[in-house]
Amino acid sequence: MEKAGIPSVVVTTTGFSALARFTGKAGGVEDLAIAEYPGPLGMHDAQTIARNLEGVVEQIAVALTQSASEPHAGSAAFDPGQTVFSGSEEEIARFFAEKGWSDGLPIVPPTVARVEEFLRYTDRPAREQISVLPSANRRATPWAIAANAVMAGCAPMHMPLLVAAVEALGDERASLNNIGSSSGIFPFALVNGPLAREFGVACGGQAISSGTNPAIGRAIGLIVRNIAGFRPGASYMGTFGYPLAFALAENEAESPWPPFHVEHGYEPGTSTVAIGVTNNWGSAPAPYDTPDKRGAEVALELLSREIVRKTRVFNFPARGPTAESVMLTLLLSPPVAKSLAAAGYSKQDVKQHLYQNTRMTLREFEWVVKYTMIERTTVRERVEAGVLPEEFLGKPDDEVRVLSSPDILHVVVCGDPHRNRVMVLEGGHTRPTTRPITLPAFWSRLRNSA
Amino acid sequence: MRRARRLDALAGKTVCEFWNGVFKGDITFPLIRRRLQERHPGLTIVPYTEFPHSAGSDDPARQREHAERLAQLARERGAHAVISGNGA
Repeated sequence: MEKAGIPSVVVTTTGFSALARFTGKAGGVEDLAIAEYPGPLGMHDAQTIARNLEGVVEQIAVALTQSASEPHAGSAAFDPGQTVFSGSEEEIARFFAEKGWSDGLPIVPPTVARVEEFLRYTDRPAREQISVLPSANRRATPWAIAANAVMAGCAPMHMPLLVAAVEALGDERASLNNIGSSSGIFPFALVNGPLAREFGVACGGQAISSGTNPAIGRAIGLIVRNIAGFRPGASYMGTFGYPLAFALAENEAESPWPPFHVEHGYEPGTSTVAIGVTNNWGSAPAPYDTPDKRGAEVALELLSREIVRKTRVFNFPARGPTAESVMLTLLLSPPVAKSLAAAGYSKQDVKQHLYQNTRMTLREFEWVVKYTMIERTTVRERVEAGVLPEEFLGKPDDEVRVLSSPDILHVVVCGDPHRNRVMVLEGGHTRPTTRPITLPAFWSRLRNSA
Repeated sequence: MRRARRLDALAGKTVCEFWNGVFKGDITFPLIRRRLQERHPGLTIVPYTEFPHSAGSDDPARQREHAERLAQLARERGAHAVISGNGA
């Protein structure tokens, strides 16, 4: 609208105005007008929304009738070869972290010498535009790619793979501009073809943790951060954050089917890298307050639904000395926790409610036991062994409680304080163990001298 | 580019609503509409229901087409300004 000469204002919610401005700037509008609704709209009831909109109405009127302040003059052209910092490795890591250029982990400092070594492994000119990556719309050049690859701990020989990955990231179909969502979407790299082996990209057991996969994945993540501009908390809004990006190769030798790249039109002998996306460490659905159901009630039902979809649900109701240990950690963003508390639920109440109300039909539970459980057993046998309670001997449509006890649930409040999301982490074979952190006597002196 | 020139006032103007189909716009837009019209005499607001509104598409080409279409519709309705939402 702004480009068409029609003044506009975008209504956002707290925490997302920066992303809106970032997206507006990427679209060519430097100073997008915003009217910000305070707090997690999704969890607010009709009365709260009506009250909060007073401020929004005022902001809208101002945004459409008052001129913006003069923009700052814009930075001079950036020379990517300039030295931006000198210091020890620790000082460099801290500087890069403070600038938002690293993922918080130690980096390999991208010196000119290291970058130039990487550039030996590509025939693309250092300043050539490989892609323009949204939403920051920065030019991804071999120089910039190499700098991020150095930081991630890649080897120079990975340059052709990373250049191809950046071409894929810049493909409009990758829709990179859409990944800032509070769902926590993150790209991963899938490598096919004979070069996977030469690059050391693992495809077998523990794939993403093996070979050169961690470094390549990390490089993709740093490129998404530093060239595409996705920074957690500003333009990258996954409610519970992001683990490191990952890479893997397809195990073509062990697959009975055509590999991914052949399905997508490439010859088997061609090597490719594909960029996909995932909600990296699990889905984080959002409960909404609606006219027919309060947010707290929806949150509890949603948690139950998430629990019964977990892989090891066949062990959740098991009890007794031979039962496998289970732990389910429930992450609740603060607005969800507060809505539950406002509805009268303590943490223990939440656990008790979920224990009583998280159910699935016996038919479904038996399917899971029969077809997905490593132990060859039946529900009846488990009841007879005292592992499952008698209610599991009912009829197929009976709904049984799938949790053995409220005590296998652990509630943790964390994540974006302006977003309404939950995440259920399942764990097996272990129980949570906790120890106090004890500081040495000289702690204060040590900290004050740092 | 800098933003478009702002209006001198909302009174007597026509404003269009664009909804992206999510985040309770069906609740917020009517409330915002009513309050703006109460405070700015003669303000005409064309509700979001008069324009295509739905969640997605995440395809950039379709997003551009949709934006261009909305701009054209806004001009046809004599829009002096647009309120769009909700982003969250």
